[in-house]
Amino acid sequence: MTTGEVLLKVDNLSVEFDTPHGSVRAVDGVSWQVRAGETLAILGESGSGKSVSTQALTGILEMPPGRIVSGSAEYRGVDLIAMPVKERRKIVGDRITMVFQDSLSALNPVQSVGTQIAECYRVHRGLSKQDAMKRAAEMLDQVRIPAAAKRVRDYPHEFSGGMRQRVMLAMALALDPDVLIADEPTTALDVTVQAQILELIEELQAERDMGVVLITHDLGVVADVADNVVVMYAGHVVERAATAEALDYPVHPYTEGLLGSMPSAELKGQELPTIPGTPPSLRAIPSGCAFRTRCPHAIDDCALEVPKLLTVAPGRDAACIRRTTISAKEAV
Amino acid sequence: MTRFVLRRVLAAIPIGLIVTLGVFALVFAMPGDPLRELAGDKPIPAAVLAAKRAQFHLDDPFIVQYLLSMKDILTGHFGSTFAGADIADQLRLRIPVTLKLATLSLALQWIAGLLFGLYAGFRRNGVIDRMLLLSTLVVLAVPGLVLYFAGQYVFGVQLKWLPVSGVADGYPISYLLPAVCIAITGFAGMARLTRTSIVDTANADFVKTGRAKGLGEQRILWRHVLPNALLPVVTLMGIDFAGIFAGAVLAESIFNLPGLGQFMFQAIKLKEGGVVVLLSTLAFLMFILINLLVDIVYGAIDPRVRNV
Repeated sequence: MTTGEVLLKVDNLSVEFDTPHGSVRAVDGVSWQVRAGETLAILGESGSGKSVSTQALTGILEMPPGRIVSGSAEYRGVDLIAMPVKERRKIVGDRITMVFQDSLSALNPVQSVGTQIAECYRVHRGLSKQDAMKRAAEMLDQVRIPAAAKRVRDYPHEFSGGMRQRVMLAMALALDPDVLIADEPTTALDVTVQAQILELIEELQAERDMGVVLITHDLGVVADVADNVVVMYAGHVVERAATAEALDYPVHPYTEGLLGSMPSAELKGQELPTIPGTPPSLRAIPSGCAFRTRCPHAIDDCALEVPKLLTVAPGRDAACIRRTTISAKEAV
Repeated sequence: MTRFVLRRVLAAIPIGLIVTLGVFALVFAMPGDPLRELAGDKPIPAAVLAAKRAQFHLDDPFIVQYLLSMKDILTGHFGSTFAGADIADQLRLRIPVTLKLATLSLALQWIAGLLFGLYAGFRRNGVIDRMLLLSTLVVLAVPGLVLYFAGQYVFGVQLKWLPVSGVADGYPISYLLPAVCIAITGFAGMARLTRTSIVDTANADFVKTGRAKGLGEQRILWRHVLPNALLPVVTLMGIDFAGIFAGAVLAESIFNLPGLGQFMFQAIKLKEGGVVVLLSTLAFLMFILINLLVDIVYGAIDPRVRNV
């Protein structure tokens, strides 16, 4: 479906956190890639490691307590993790940029939004103050903030939540990045504003042929905008597929459970199905498959070893010994 | 802006009345007769006593005495002390002394507080940070009075590094010891607040945004962390500045510096209500002025509190 150049390729990334009670592994052997023009959704609940993995590869994770144990993250073939900080700063913030969830705390409250956007041009392009501010105003206009030329001197608290998220987008897209990592960009917004922001991201992506990594816990968002989806559970990737296929025929029982617990018109009046139990604490991840304690299909063998992510069909991977063996048999 | 200043000044008038009335009442409520104390053991002729009592309105009801004092202050006729000194002359001589002491101690306190606070905040959990936390804890636990006497005894009497008291050695030598004592008591809070504020701000989300923008750590520190971290520090500086008079009363009395603080101390001892109220009014005006200044500065550095 997407045939653009592979821009960002994460391979076998593992991240641990040092805590007073020993180290916990928040991300374990995660791999994914994003191509130009593609929207990749990383889906998972709180604590599944979806944010930590992207923060680790861009180097914005607090280290310590965080620690990258293994893995690589290649931007156009160059490993971001192995490169010196100074080199990485030329890529992160320029070619790879990020948008965060809470736009009020993610913007500096005592600097005007224009100054904060202009900072990108000043630092990465060496533009003069006036030119940078002019470009900042243009960016505000591009993310459809009304009266951009005037509002460029306003401060973050003078914008509404949706407008502030547009400011964040303007800042992230100022330098025409190749990859945009959007970490729950719409979680703090109400539903109509959320749709507007997602639409805006889609439009700007199409204009620039940019790869987008969308981190979310919202299946609805995934269904709306993502080309491909990576499902994470307890630090592991459990399923990787094109969005349409994953939504229609989920392979991993966790993805299945998530889909089953989506509210829909057919279920009106009935109790919403849920996945029994709660996600495991990272300090006490069950042996073998982390999901087995909540899985309706679990057998004794699930406790033996961590299931490998196996290809079940072209472009489809899942980590479940029950499903991959069944599919593998069928495939023969 | 003009409206803001005007509103603040107008609001200060009723507060000023309540403060001066309260101070006057406290002086009035103190036991003992002021004039007898002035005379010491010597007997005073009844006629002299009566004349003095009439001159200072001491036989009038409390509220009349207060109003007469206020009238004197507002019209600029400060009159003389019980002992006969001209109060206006006294102010002319004493204000520079207190100003010198206050500026020196504030400068020391702010510089030390900011330097240690900033350094400890940048290198938190380092050696300097731990030493700072421990030493400020000690300083905060020691009462100011103890510190003044201890400082005077150790550095003045025993080591003889600095004059024990008086202003015979001029500025800044004579002022150094009391100023350092005041600065030490104030520096602890300042350093701790600065440190905590920097540590808090360094964990803020917008710092993460800065890193995601590919900014260097130095730029993040100076452009993003510091302007936010210093907001509460500016407030504390204002409070310190306004409260410096309290430190001056103690320090000037102990180190025998002829400033307003010492004047205040003597006036309280002699129950000179008029002088106490006059000095309180001066302190209050300073307080209002400094507060106004802090608010204006604050509005300039924090856009969220503008147009209030």
